[in-house]
Amino acid sequence: MNDVRQLWTDPALGRFDPLPRILCYDDFNRGLNGYTALVGNYEDTLDTVLPGYRDMNQPMLSNGTHWDTGSHGGYGGTYALKVVTRPRPGAINMALKRLTFRKRCPIRLEAFLTFKPEATELQLSELDVRAFTLVFDIQDEGCRWMPHVRYLNALDGKPQKKWQFKCKTEQAPQIGNSGKTKSHHHFSAEGWQDIPNGSQEICYNEVATKYNWHYFRIDVDLGARRITGLQFNDKVLDTSAVEVMRFDSAWPNLAQLFNICWLVETDTSKRAFLYIDSVLLSGDFEHA
Amino acid sequence: MRESCTAVVARNDVWQGVAASEPYETAWADEAVVFLRNLESQGAPEEARAWVQISADGIRWVDEGTSFPVPAQGEVTFCRLRNFGGYMRVKTILPPGASFKALLSIALKG
Repeated sequence: MNDVRQLWTDPALGRFDPLPRILCYDDFNRGLNGYTALVGNYEDTLDTVLPGYRDMNQPMLSNGTHWDTGSHGGYGGTYALKVVTRPRPGAINMALKRLTFRKRCPIRLEAFLTFKPEATELQLSELDVRAFTLVFDIQDEGCRWMPHVRYLNALDGKPQKKWQFKCKTEQAPQIGNSGKTKSHHHFSAEGWQDIPNGSQEICYNEVATKYNWHYFRIDVDLGARRITGLQFNDKVLDTSAVEVMRFDSAWPNLAQLFNICWLVETDTSKRAFLYIDSVLLSGDFEHA
Repeated sequence: MRESCTAVVARNDVWQGVAASEPYETAWADEAVVFLRNLESQGAPEEARAWVQISADGIRWVDEGTSFPVPAQGEVTFCRLRNFGGYMRVKTILPPGASFKALLSIALKG
């Protein structure tokens, strides 16, 4: 593990604490790096997409420009990945990267990110973003399983400021008539549970157009199908009680699926923004 | 090699009356081609035109000066753009009783 210390003087990677094998490094100064929009499953017509997916559209490369200060830029360089909701309470949007896994090993995802509401009024607006969420969508030979964690910032105008997980599965209705397609709105608002001792104050800053970058880390053991670590800035959470969403069996056509999904949800009639400066995915093949 | 991205900004969104696409950030790009496809319509939305708007902040919008026809059902229309700044969207005003399901794609390079 001491080899990782060699990264500490690398200007791009020195802010990360990766496992021994770097699997991908997404620096959004170099484009979208494979992050795209989620389209809900459909057959024959887009009208068959489940309602919870219909609002979703493409993430964008943002230089963080605001009406009062101009361009904010990224943690490193000019651009960040920006995921934006529609301006309706409860609206959600997602950006995801679609991979497959080589080893059922421990993996670590680290990112620098921040979230803000659209600055449509001259108010602090610190309770306008409801939540941001990280989901892995994984399928091994036994089953499909989906670790979900989120930071719930506010709900119905009340501050929450805590980390949650979701293991409750949702209904998965058939889509169309072929019998080959189904869909489930797995990140819906119901069924979230608090992570014990998961309260956390996050630096929002003092105006809607000022943002500070935050460190996020999640560890998942692909072999054990468990979340084994979660950190945000200086807070390391105890994930021993955190369960993952799990289905009884594998789904068709998803062998070795490994998707990384970032979501943001608004609590008001303002757009919510999730900015992601960079993402590092690493693994430990020797301990698979 | 240049960056490129085709962003589907509206997918099966129903446009009627005064309609505009969601804001999209374009600061990194030098050029854009906007494609508007009509997946299904009611009435005659093709009697209207759509036009490009740009913005300094993604909140306050001004007309860029380029317009193009709203397509009839099953058809696609487009326009080419340069020098559009940091934010872009497409707006239209449809005749009474007209609506369509829009697929709006912005092909960017820079």
